[in-house]
Amino acid sequence: MKIIKPIILLFIIIFSFESYSQDNNRIVSNIQDLVLDVDESFTPSSVTMDDNDNEVSCNNMIYYSRNREALDVNNETGEITANLPGFYTVVAICIQEEGKRLRKDFSVKVNYPPVNKIKISLINNVLYTDSYIPLTFEVIYEKGFIRNDVKFNLTSSNDLISIDNLNNVKAITSGKSTLTAEFEGITSSIVLNIKKNPVSYIELKSNSDEARTGDVFQFRAVAYDKKNVVIGDAPIKFSYTGKSFDKSNTASGLIEKDGRFVGDVAGQYIITSNVGNISASKIVNVIDRNIKRKFKSIGIGTVNDKHTSDFWVFEGVDGRDYAVSGTWGADGTTYFWDVTNPSNLIKIDSVQVDARTVNDVKVSEDGKICVISREGASNRKNGIIIIDVTNPYDVNIISEYTQNLTGGVHNVFIYENHVYALSNGEKYYVINIDDPKNPKEIGKFELGKPGQSIHDVWIEDGIAYSSNWRNGVYLVDVGNGIANGSPSNPVAFANYNYASGAHHATFPYKSKSTGKFYTVLGDEIFPNGIDVKGQNVTAGFLHFVDFTDLDNPVEVARYELPGDGSHNYWIDGDVLYVAMYTGGVRVVDLSGDLMGDLYKQGREIGYILSGSENAYIPNSTMSWGAQFYKGHVFYSDWNSGIGSAKLEPIKPDKTKVSIN
Amino acid sequence: MKNIYLLIILLLLNSKIIFSQDYYVYVAAESEDEVSLIKFNGIEGVELEKIPVGIWPAENEGPHGLTVDPNGKFWYLTLAHGNPYGTLFKFSTTTNKVVGKTLLGLFPASMQISQTTGLLYCVNFNLHGDMKPSTVSVVDPETMTEIKQIQTGLMPHGSRISSDGLYHYSVAMMSDELFEIDAVSLKVNRVLKLNNNMNSMNDKIDHTHMNHKMTHTKVKPTWVTPHPSNNKLYVAANGSNEIIEVDVDLWKITEKFKTGKGPYNIEISPNGKLLVVTYKSDGSTAIWDIALKKELKVIKNKRNVSHGVAISSDSKYAFISVEGVGGEPGTVDIINLETLNLISSVNIGKQAGGIAFWKISY
Repeated sequence: MKIIKPIILLFIIIFSFESYSQDNNRIVSNIQDLVLDVDESFTPSSVTMDDNDNEVSCNNMIYYSRNREALDVNNETGEITANLPGFYTVVAICIQEEGKRLRKDFSVKVNYPPVNKIKISLINNVLYTDSYIPLTFEVIYEKGFIRNDVKFNLTSSNDLISIDNLNNVKAITSGKSTLTAEFEGITSSIVLNIKKNPVSYIELKSNSDEARTGDVFQFRAVAYDKKNVVIGDAPIKFSYTGKSFDKSNTASGLIEKDGRFVGDVAGQYIITSNVGNISASKIVNVIDRNIKRKFKSIGIGTVNDKHTSDFWVFEGVDGRDYAVSGTWGADGTTYFWDVTNPSNLIKIDSVQVDARTVNDVKVSEDGKICVISREGASNRKNGIIIIDVTNPYDVNIISEYTQNLTGGVHNVFIYENHVYALSNGEKYYVINIDDPKNPKEIGKFELGKPGQSIHDVWIEDGIAYSSNWRNGVYLVDVGNGIANGSPSNPVAFANYNYASGAHHATFPYKSKSTGKFYTVLGDEIFPNGIDVKGQNVTAGFLHFVDFTDLDNPVEVARYELPGDGSHNYWIDGDVLYVAMYTGGVRVVDLSGDLMGDLYKQGREIGYILSGSENAYIPNSTMSWGAQFYKGHVFYSDWNSGIGSAKLEPIKPDKTKVSIN
Repeated sequence: MKNIYLLIILLLLNSKIIFSQDYYVYVAAESEDEVSLIKFNGIEGVELEKIPVGIWPAENEGPHGLTVDPNGKFWYLTLAHGNPYGTLFKFSTTTNKVVGKTLLGLFPASMQISQTTGLLYCVNFNLHGDMKPSTVSVVDPETMTEIKQIQTGLMPHGSRISSDGLYHYSVAMMSDELFEIDAVSLKVNRVLKLNNNMNSMNDKIDHTHMNHKMTHTKVKPTWVTPHPSNNKLYVAANGSNEIIEVDVDLWKITEKFKTGKGPYNIEISPNGKLLVVTYKSDGSTAIWDIALKKELKVIKNKRNVSHGVAISSDSKYAFISVEGVGGEPGTVDIINLETLNLISSVNIGKQAGGIAFWKISY
């Protein structure tokens, strides 16, 4: 018992330091359940109250909005200005004596302005019985806000049309019917002039009865009336069903509204064209593409004490073949290789600069100048290093250039004596290296948008293709002449972006077989971050964008390797060489028209896994980039260095395919 | 019986005698995209944990600034590089996992949380491309919402809060200015030009319209820290190799102390007696006696690029982040502030930079 008493006392002592008075003061404000109209302002009145509803001191109140763009809040006065309709939160923080604080969140609703009108649009004015009517609806509010995501009440003036639960409208009987849409008391109507389907029959033809997976069929359908007269404006639709030759596989493909069809899987496909309930079908066979070839690794240039980044293979002034490779997250080393014999890649020289990552390396067209990028320089000046590679066995640093490049240079390109160097992932500068000892900035390109960002730039035929993440690819005239641009005056003339916003690299590609011009846009995605010392998960794919019409680019195809993400790539002829990070180096047939999912279509010719046993991270493939050079495929691997591979010759093709 | 009670109380009060003390520090490795948790037992420091950080794994995102919440439950990290804006991350000190994040400005760097407002104030260093005035971001760490960006000068750095929590101080490295922000009104309160010899400038001009291209960078201030108990601020003048003392009440430079090469970061011991400053260009750390206005000792760091300073809450130890060059690892040098000796060094990832003291545990 004697020992218990002091223990109790000890607890009292200990917990007396921990205890503190709890107060239940609270902020009371007329912001609570505030409802505002767009452009309306409101200055709140707020006080702090204790348990007994007595007002207590609040030295200062700080207000803020959790969505400043939509709801602007003056931090001092709390004045709230509504900019956009929606539901928002305003936070009030009361700074009391001795650092005590109270805080409260208030919900604020900003009403949509009154509905001004409902706009109903017909996508196609030709309406035949037994057809769904293509309609779009928009609510247009005062102040210009537009929504197309609301559920309208649709009614019709008669039974000539039917309306299903999803507001799909179908023409049943010929005649005039008025369709009315109602939302928040505002109505709008459209008169639908439905004609009896005049189509008696459809003639459906294709350019072939049989093609390989990935080859594009062109179907043409012509509608006729009872008198065998062509109905030129008949709204013909195309669809398909199919059955795989392989019983355990599923037939799949893609059909476009212009009648182009591509099969992904070998099988029999029924293509149907219809106008209302009049249809015609045609069966085609899709056979395996059968283009697999042996693709073998033949040489490895090992870098096993650090990560390897990008590389470049070039012909030296002595006619031999060389490569340069950077390093990542290491000590600023760049390696030079003799790759004249692709099966014997010899490390011949190196330079070390003050950097942790030399992410990108490029060599001038004449094989004399190499430029490398710097990130993580200990003086934070980063920039680029220009190297004389006239003798790759004894390279020499000519100059360092850091002006405006202190934020780090992630990628570079050399084109006609100019270096295009990215700056801080925001823009690129154009640097003249006529005198490589004294580089001079002569121009820059940036989007000029808030949050502008860039990951890569590639130059071909005087056009710079910059990869700008969520802003997509920008085609910029830096000397081509198409938009009167020059290196000192880069002029953007075309753009395409896509939803994922993960656009990191671009390769321009003119199809040898079709003459179409594409930009191939690559994603870079690490869903789970990166493990610098282990295996990684990668994602993303290549987007093929038909840029034949510069003003109307159309994304037509993708190369997506299930489970592995895309990185850098090269196209030569109609063959793609792509480093798919954990998926190795892949060789893909791009011949013919491109449409749909190229991987599913069996267009992959071959692949190698570029990991090696004697590597920085052994047996862990992480292919970084690929370059086709003098008949060989060179690559770099993040974990193992560089390598070379060779595609074996094409086997005689015995398949019988006739495309008219 | 009374003696027993007395003994217990004495033991409680002197628990430091019988229990060992461990000191914990977070350090960012800017070129490794990781943060290290360092534990120091009074004799030797060890790297307790490596915490990988970043969003875009294939890119060097540069974790730069670090601070710990006054309640010790969370630590905050700025990632300098983004697309293009940098990011502020909030981590739990219990799990060292991310619990929140928000975008800030260009190259967010050093930061601190005010005990009074509870808000976090972070400078957006923006050292890239054309020089233009940058900002201080104000963040509510509870919701991880950026409340406001307050425009200051060219390349603001050294974000520190006054001991009463009511003012934020930063210096503009390339416009030689000291900024005082009212931590409550979230407005620039005063600006002091640091390159006018001992002349005070009570600058109330709207800074947003100042022509920053007409600035000089002779002083090149890289850090400012307020004294914990008096009205003085201390500025690291990296370009002019001096520490500038500013009287907050007078808003005037009152002293300048010549230093070694490239004073970079400064911290003052919580007891207000010592000022610890890294000499970045010299690869050393100096300990100054504030009352005596005297450099007591210059200690050579283990590597060549001395960066940040964090001092333990008991004012006994200074933890210095040292960057190294190229492939060298970063290092945390631990200095005993009583004996003024370097007593332990811990290697971490490359380019050790931002550093923050977390806690002492017994």
